[in-house]
Amino acid sequence: MTTTVETPRATPDKPIRAPWKAFFGMLAFSAVVFTVYRIYQHETAFTFGLDYFNPEFATYWMSVLYAELAIEVLLGAAIVGYLWTTRDRHLDKITPAEELRRYLVLMSQLLLFGAIAYVVTSIYTESDAAWHQVTVRDTDFTPTHIGLFYFGVPVFILSVLTAFVYARTRIPAFASKVSLPFALLVAGPVMIMPNLGFNEWGHTFFYAEELFAAPIHWGFVLLGWATFAAGGLLVQILSRIVQLTQVIGSASAQQTDIQVEAAAKAELNAAA
Amino acid sequence: MSQELAASAVHSTAEQHRVHVQVDLLAIPLVVLLFAAVFSFQFALLVGDWDYWIDWRDRRWWPLVTPLALTILPAVFGYFLWERLRLPLGATLTIIALTAAAWISRYLNFHLFANFPMNMVWPSAYIGLGLIVDCILLLTGSFFWTGLFGGFAFGVLLYPMNWPLLAPFQVPVEMHGTMLTVSDLMGFEYIRTAIPEYVRIIEQSTLRTFGEAVTPLTAVFAGFLNIMNFWFWTWIGYLGSKALWLRKIV
Repeated sequence: MTTTVETPRATPDKPIRAPWKAFFGMLAFSAVVFTVYRIYQHETAFTFGLDYFNPEFATYWMSVLYAELAIEVLLGAAIVGYLWTTRDRHLDKITPAEELRRYLVLMSQLLLFGAIAYVVTSIYTESDAAWHQVTVRDTDFTPTHIGLFYFGVPVFILSVLTAFVYARTRIPAFASKVSLPFALLVAGPVMIMPNLGFNEWGHTFFYAEELFAAPIHWGFVLLGWATFAAGGLLVQILSRIVQLTQVIGSASAQQTDIQVEAAAKAELNAAA
Repeated sequence: MSQELAASAVHSTAEQHRVHVQVDLLAIPLVVLLFAAVFSFQFALLVGDWDYWIDWRDRRWWPLVTPLALTILPAVFGYFLWERLRLPLGATLTIIALTAAAWISRYLNFHLFANFPMNMVWPSAYIGLGLIVDCILLLTGSFFWTGLFGGFAFGVLLYPMNWPLLAPFQVPVEMHGTMLTVSDLMGFEYIRTAIPEYVRIIEQSTLRTFGEAVTPLTAVFAGFLNIMNFWFWTWIGYLGSKALWLRKIV
């Protein structure tokens, strides 16, 4: 397979900037998708989504479930497949400017993940809370569950997975080693899906009502706490950016920087 | 690897400044959005119903459960922001993020979607607690003293800080010859699927009210528990801030 390298590469003549156009484009696209979905839920949840055994439920809600699951699987495979097949196989040859640019791309991907995570874990999650306060479930696939667990959560898993695979395939530090904080940040959202299985099993078996702070929901909390590792990930990213943006005055100063960097790396490796 | 011998990607302090501005523009909103996301999520699933409803903010469990759950993010990210960036903002910033997210969610979900009046579902006021903790951290520079005084204050002051907002719902009304509070009346008129029995029981100066001492007793108990709670989550923040690398996963 031929090596594919991202273009354009940053050069010293070109200012190093975050990919703002792409970021705001994706942000706007995500905002439109989540808003349209929310409006659809608002208009049809309490009219066609109350009775699972009603034919209209299949028309208005089960069709949405099947469609979104298929789209998510295809989209996820396409994004991860693209990132993997176009990976940079000569990471030892990239310039500091290019490496810095890739860090900014990674941070913009994480920011998009943060925006989607907020919408899903706050607005979409609590729409399910509001729903359960006024209805008694007759299915695992309530309208708000179809929006939260089978649309929102997979999308925010996909957004953080995209950032992780990007870093693994394009940034030297993340390609040569595994960032434990980053791995936790991905593993937490991913493990929400198995925990959802436990949650739904419990609700159909021994816990019909929906006390939102009930122990059966605490598994979700534990997985949400995986985000506490974001601090460690930021330390890893920012430390490297600081190194890449040092203004080097002389050869001796550069040598000192390299020694400091090597000592810091040795300390981190010893801690790991 | 080249990174171990990397030269700089910038050539002047002006260029360096421009790059750092780009990093700030990405990092600051990321941190705030993550605070809002994680705090909303864990608060909904640990406190949830106690904070959703006015009549559910009772004087036994609400003042105990809430500070214990509310302390988690201020302690975890307070450590990160203070130790790594010397910013005494962890508690205030996380709680502001929670409050903003809560107001947006209550309006969109409980009011517009489920049609409950906002008067029944507004979020409690917690920002003052964050300010106190951050001020103590700034003044002492010590997580020990911040946990001791700030953690205690979290538990003790939660109820009094919300008292002016809750007071109108504690005034007595009469229904069918029985005196009850406005909150009790809400509970009767708007039955929810999981409302617990102890919230529905109307207390009329029996032994179980403990002579009106329940709230201060609960608050002080919550304060003492919260000291250890704060220290524990600060330690978790220390673990979460570690920049650990693994050679391989398996």
